[in-house]
Amino acid sequence: MDQILEVKGLCRNYGRGSITHAVDHVDFSVEKGEFVGIMGPSGSGKTTLLNCIATIDQPTSGSIRVEGKEITGLKPKALSRFRRERLGFVFQDCNLLDTLTAFENIALALTIRGTPAGQVEGLVKETAGLLEIADCLNKYPYQMSGGQQQRTAAARAIVTRPALVLADEPTGALDSKAARLLLDRFEALNTQLAATILMVTHDAFTASYCHRILFLRDGAVFTQLERGSLSRRDFFRRIMDVVAALGGDQSDVL
Amino acid sequence: MFSKLAVKNVGRSFRDYGVYFLTVAFGVCLFYVFNALETQTVLQYLSNHQRQNIVESIKGLIGVLSVFVWVVLAFLILYASGFLVRRRSRELGTYLLLGMERRQVAGLLLAETAVTALIALAAGLALGVVLSQALSVFTAGLFAVPQTTFQFSVSVPALVRTALAFVGIFLLVMVYHALSLFRKRLIDLLRANRSNQELRARGLGASVALFLGGCALLGVAYAMLLVRGMLRVDPLFWVMIGLGSLGTLLFFRGLSGFLLRLCQGRKKLYYKGLNLFILRQFNASINTTYRSMTVICLMLLLAIGITATSVGLNNTVERMTAEAQPWSVELTVWPEEEGQAMDLPAALEEGGFAPDQWCSPWAAFPLCRDSQGEFGIRAADYAALESAWGTERAQAFLMRQGAEILPDGGAYTAVLWHFLADYAGEPQGAEEAFLAAVSGLTDTGGYSYSTKQATWMDLMGTKVLVLFIGLYLGVVFLVASAAVLALQQLSQAADSAGRYQILSRLGVSEKARGRSVDVQVFLAFFLPLALALIHAVVGMTAANEVIAQVGHVDVGASGAVTALLLVVVYGGYFLATCWGSRRMLRASA
Repeated sequence: MDQILEVKGLCRNYGRGSITHAVDHVDFSVEKGEFVGIMGPSGSGKTTLLNCIATIDQPTSGSIRVEGKEITGLKPKALSRFRRERLGFVFQDCNLLDTLTAFENIALALTIRGTPAGQVEGLVKETAGLLEIADCLNKYPYQMSGGQQQRTAAARAIVTRPALVLADEPTGALDSKAARLLLDRFEALNTQLAATILMVTHDAFTASYCHRILFLRDGAVFTQLERGSLSRRDFFRRIMDVVAALGGDQSDVL
Repeated sequence: MFSKLAVKNVGRSFRDYGVYFLTVAFGVCLFYVFNALETQTVLQYLSNHQRQNIVESIKGLIGVLSVFVWVVLAFLILYASGFLVRRRSRELGTYLLLGMERRQVAGLLLAETAVTALIALAAGLALGVVLSQALSVFTAGLFAVPQTTFQFSVSVPALVRTALAFVGIFLLVMVYHALSLFRKRLIDLLRANRSNQELRARGLGASVALFLGGCALLGVAYAMLLVRGMLRVDPLFWVMIGLGSLGTLLFFRGLSGFLLRLCQGRKKLYYKGLNLFILRQFNASINTTYRSMTVICLMLLLAIGITATSVGLNNTVERMTAEAQPWSVELTVWPEEEGQAMDLPAALEEGGFAPDQWCSPWAAFPLCRDSQGEFGIRAADYAALESAWGTERAQAFLMRQGAEILPDGGAYTAVLWHFLADYAGEPQGAEEAFLAAVSGLTDTGGYSYSTKQATWMDLMGTKVLVLFIGLYLGVVFLVASAAVLALQQLSQAADSAGRYQILSRLGVSEKARGRSVDVQVFLAFFLPLALALIHAVVGMTAANEVIAQVGHVDVGASGAVTALLLVVVYGGYFLATCWGSRRMLRASA
């Protein structure tokens, strides 16, 4: 299998003098077509790690390779190019442009890549069908529910067929029904389009949709969990066990 | 501790809110320049030459206008500082959340406003003193006033007046913001940063209809103006102004929707790069800004119109001097009894003004009536006149007097005596000698005289008045509209910071984002200006017909001065806004 993402010895430190190691020597890789989750309590460095991969943040040391290409130390112009051509994002908030309709939000991801105008409409409609938002394409974000907004964001992330989709707490602001619907669609994207997804979450239910989960604690990889052939219910239990173990060390603090 | 906080905040404000400082400094500067008119070379020259009354009336008028300007500037500064406070309400809310009392936070705000205001005031005064000198040199050149030596002068009364006027404004602003802080709820302060722009989806079809309706109204108003002319103020005139204003409003209200619809029809254009984002952004903002764009357009129109016509009229009046007064001096004397012989040159020489010494050429002759009552000049005298100044001027003189040429040798009664002359050599001394001699004339039934210098001086007084008032009002309107526009764009940039952050994450390069900002600022500045220019061109065409009766407006020169002012003030604000918006968005990305 092709390796899409390879992270080696990644460190991200904050501050001078008393240094905080937000991410501390993390190694992992993601294969093409995988659906990988990153879990951990708040302050464990999950978002910092994702931001480094998303090229929003610069790591202190270590290497990040996407499709074999080193992306740390790229120039701003090359970074922008990399972001619009190889990555797709879904964030908890700050997602859609409120001045644009759903259709235009998705189309924007294409137009800034220079996709020929003739292909835009077809690609948007196809992707929207996959995410079951075809009926609200002409609505503005404030006219849509939170779940529809997140699925529109997912459509925007996937419409360019990026090498890697990064999702930061995509279900964080959704109720459980909308969250389930979104995750179903993520799964569909993963199976039908073979999209590679890397998702950060602190919610065990959300994480149970992944194939593999990386647990972070204090900036380092604590353990890894493979779903294998487990049912989602069983996988959820396994995750809960690890979460309990993660929190266990800190129970004396409470 | 609080003073430390205040000073720190000011330091930051200085970097962030350039437009506010620009506005206060410009306002102070303008106010000083036009309240310090006595330092202007042109006015000094006028008051040194027996035109004290004109100078006084110019200063009086400017003083009255200054009250009006003061009110405009007060509102402008209130608006600008309101923008400053609104941008920081979250910070102020945090102080309250941390347990500072409202009184203390208000005090903090007062301290900051006081410090910033004083710095801007000082900067504005310094700029004003320099600009006042520049204006002095410029107008002296415009009126060809002989400049003796360059004197750097500062008007202390004007400095005091300006300082007092602006301290008054600052006090008003401080009290206003302190009061509004006491009224605000904490939750509103903390949430103020959330974009609360109303985004209502309005039908694009309605926008297109509004736009076309606006264009139609403007067309009707233009047609009325061109047909009816400028100066007929009757109910229909107000209808015309109303139609024009309403047309402008609808034009801006519908414009963005119209543009959007137009571009959506061209997929190649619409789905290219950031085009759809820029258009949507423009459309979203125009729903909240079309009113101010209308006001700005009309204010710009006033500024352009006032500046252009005042400078134009000024040049027109310049040419009228030569036509109104062709001779350096023209003296008309009525004898005590008709037919009495007079020797004007001798009488003048007795008074200390020897024609042969001061003048070349000169002529003295009577205008007579013959036995049939025909009024005219004797042929011999006419011949002398013609040989001295040429046929054209001699003819013009006859036309003006309504005189015929009377053949030599008839019996004529002298009705009035004329003395015409051009000064030779130094005109100033000649003028003084002439005035002294004329006031000593005796044994006459009355006399009247006009000199070129006096006519020129009177006309110049009018010109100076028109020019200064025009420049004053024009520049104030220009500064006001540019400042409002700049602040609106900056607050919009602040509101769209989140959107640009998303664009950055989607991989839009900094260059492309900057260009998107520039396009929006450009549209906001350029569209009102473009419409105002069209209004102005139509208005000036109509006005030219009026002015053509008095003289002809020099379109080239007045256009050039107006364009220069526009470029300096409007362009300055445009660049400051582009720069400020880019900074704001770069910081957030």
